[in-house]
Amino acid sequence: MKKQLASLVWLVKSGLSALLVMLACGLATARFGDGLPLPSTQTRDTTLVTFDRYVHQPVPDVILVGSSMAFRLKEEYFATPRLRNLAIAGGSPVTGLAIVASRSALPKLVLVETNVMSRAIDEALVTTYSAGSKGRSSFLRPVKTLIAAYENWLHAQPSRAQLAQAFSDLLRQPPSNFDNRVYVDRALQQMNSENPAAVSTPNVKALEKLVDVLEQRGAHVLLFEMPYSEELEGSRYATVTRKLVHGAFPDAGHWLTLDFVRDDLRWADGVHVDERSGLIVARAIDHAIAPYLAASR
Amino acid sequence: MTFTSWQFAVFAALVFIAYYLPPLRRFQVQLLVVASLLFYGYGQPELLPLLALAVGGTYFFLVFALSDRRWLPVGIIFNLGLLAFFKYKFLFLDSHAPIVTGIPAIDFLLKLPLPIGISFFVFHNISLLVDLTGGKKAPPPGLADVFLYIIFFPQLVAGPITRAAMFMPQIQPKRFSDIPLVEAAKWILVGFFFKLYVANNLNEMTSYMDFPFYETLQTQDRWLLIVLYGFQIYADFFGYSAIAIGLAQLFGYRLPINFDLPYTSASFSEFWTRWHISLSNWLRTYLYIPLGGNRLGKFRTYLNLMIVMGLGGLWHGAGLSYLAWGFMHGMLLVIERPFLGVLKSVNSTGFRAVRIAVVFMCVTMLWIFFRLPNFDHALGYLAGLFTPGTNPNPPKLYRDLALLYCLPVIIQHLRAGELMERRLASWEPYFYGALGALAYLEAGPATAFIYFQF
Repeated sequence: MKKQLASLVWLVKSGLSALLVMLACGLATARFGDGLPLPSTQTRDTTLVTFDRYVHQPVPDVILVGSSMAFRLKEEYFATPRLRNLAIAGGSPVTGLAIVASRSALPKLVLVETNVMSRAIDEALVTTYSAGSKGRSSFLRPVKTLIAAYENWLHAQPSRAQLAQAFSDLLRQPPSNFDNRVYVDRALQQMNSENPAAVSTPNVKALEKLVDVLEQRGAHVLLFEMPYSEELEGSRYATVTRKLVHGAFPDAGHWLTLDFVRDDLRWADGVHVDERSGLIVARAIDHAIAPYLAASR
Repeated sequence: MTFTSWQFAVFAALVFIAYYLPPLRRFQVQLLVVASLLFYGYGQPELLPLLALAVGGTYFFLVFALSDRRWLPVGIIFNLGLLAFFKYKFLFLDSHAPIVTGIPAIDFLLKLPLPIGISFFVFHNISLLVDLTGGKKAPPPGLADVFLYIIFFPQLVAGPITRAAMFMPQIQPKRFSDIPLVEAAKWILVGFFFKLYVANNLNEMTSYMDFPFYETLQTQDRWLLIVLYGFQIYADFFGYSAIAIGLAQLFGYRLPINFDLPYTSASFSEFWTRWHISLSNWLRTYLYIPLGGNRLGKFRTYLNLMIVMGLGGLWHGAGLSYLAWGFMHGMLLVIERPFLGVLKSVNSTGFRAVRIAVVFMCVTMLWIFFRLPNFDHALGYLAGLFTPGTNPNPPKLYRDLALLYCLPVIIQHLRAGELMERRLASWEPYFYGALGALAYLEAGPATAFIYFQF
């Protein structure tokens, strides 16, 4: 009996200390907020951090949704202020669009990258970030926060002027001469081996519905395609997907026309643009959406 | 149902309460059997008949073997046949083919997925057959007892592999007052912490080891990741084993320790006395010693080591990578064996540290074959360790974060637990409580236990 009592005291002490730690982390979040960007160990982490910011901050003017192809377009590449990139690496543009459509306040302009339509909607992510949800846990993560603070101290965020200088330096450099042949061949083989029609059709239908909902609520929705490397543009996956999406959205007014010099672009793996090319595409998007934003003011 | 799901927490709590209710005390064994069947059938109910067949068949052969030992090899072959059929059939047939033979019943069997935990419960079955028929003649144990030994839910899907001779005598009425509550809580908290905080977070980083992502890494990051995977697989499996041991203690059973600071091993033979100890013991008892062990001369000893390690590798999975992993471990054991005496005679801390580092690096590099079961991919990764990365935009790995995720394993291997028990005993409950909170707050994205696939 005495032994069991001592055990219970041990368990109570243990439980109390666990509660205290949780309480401290909960209060720390309530007091200081969770604005510190935590280090991302995966591209998905980066996506979640972006979605967290989207949920907690004022609605941006422009939202971009898409797959890993548009994920490469970092928000800082754009000259357009108040633009949020909700593209999901390894995900579907329909997921991002469903989250945007579920929120009460909409942006003026929604850009949808339509290269990858074969991935199903991520219902868990939609539930986490849809209307009424505050995103992920509101408890402070002590270890990740510690590292975030250390990394922020070590590598302070560059100012807008510094970023602009770095980007203009990057654009002045010649395109990369990285030999991606082995990756292009592999991607081509994979993209020719699968016919995405069956799996993509319901997602394209879902896209149609969501675009309709958003437009009825007053948002302007524009679709665009990220460029593939030349070899992959004609692959079965790319052509079938393009045909499906253009079939669903035949009106040219739905499409954003991007103007860039294709020879300037490079792809690390034939599919995803490299940093310099991402910058070029982002600038082309800036240019293409400017009239729409001007008209909405 | 995995240990880290809320469904399991509810399930375990309900079974625990019912288990110690006075009116149900007479049915404790039966209750655990039913609970274990529910646990197993929760995700794959279609595999319950297979489990029943495996246990029922083993019991049948046990009863016969107890009166005539000639039935013993038949029972062992029955179990090895089950393992071979379910584990290695996909070496010979395409699991995606709609029709395999054209005979519906056979096609149904051929298309059944790998039953979770089959490698573990088949080893339990063989242990039961060998241990209980080895001594003087005794009446067969009850069917419920046999079921409990084989399918006891804390150890059903990934061990520790408990020998029948150790488990069966423990089957007797249990009282709540006999539970080592603190010890069980410590095992469970440490287990969850290692799984959720260490293994799941490191898994996020080591996912870059997958093909083709590893090709985008810098060479130094490829090296870093194999070390991280070494920590991850330890934390994952140690975590699972610790939870299993703690849970079993809550129900009054003691399972064997599965890990004893394996990365402090100064030789490969020592490593195998510290890593997955219950499997090593099983292989030694039921394979290495029956093959002749080290009693038949040097050459035969080396051959036995290679056979045991090769089969041990194949036990993990049907693939060239697992076989290569086993053979390479066997080779390391064979190579070091003649020098062990000389190595042990050098009494120097520095030299021991060097030996520990060498063993750690070799073991860690061989984990690549676990991480990448496709043999070509594993070889590609190994080659990438010695060639410069060419990707202009390699992914960024946070080394400081990686260090903090590995720290619990490092601290544990520096024997901090002993220090705590000796000098900081009064702080122990607070420390374990904080550990539990940290496991929740800093849990990495949920992933299945690595050893569930075996």
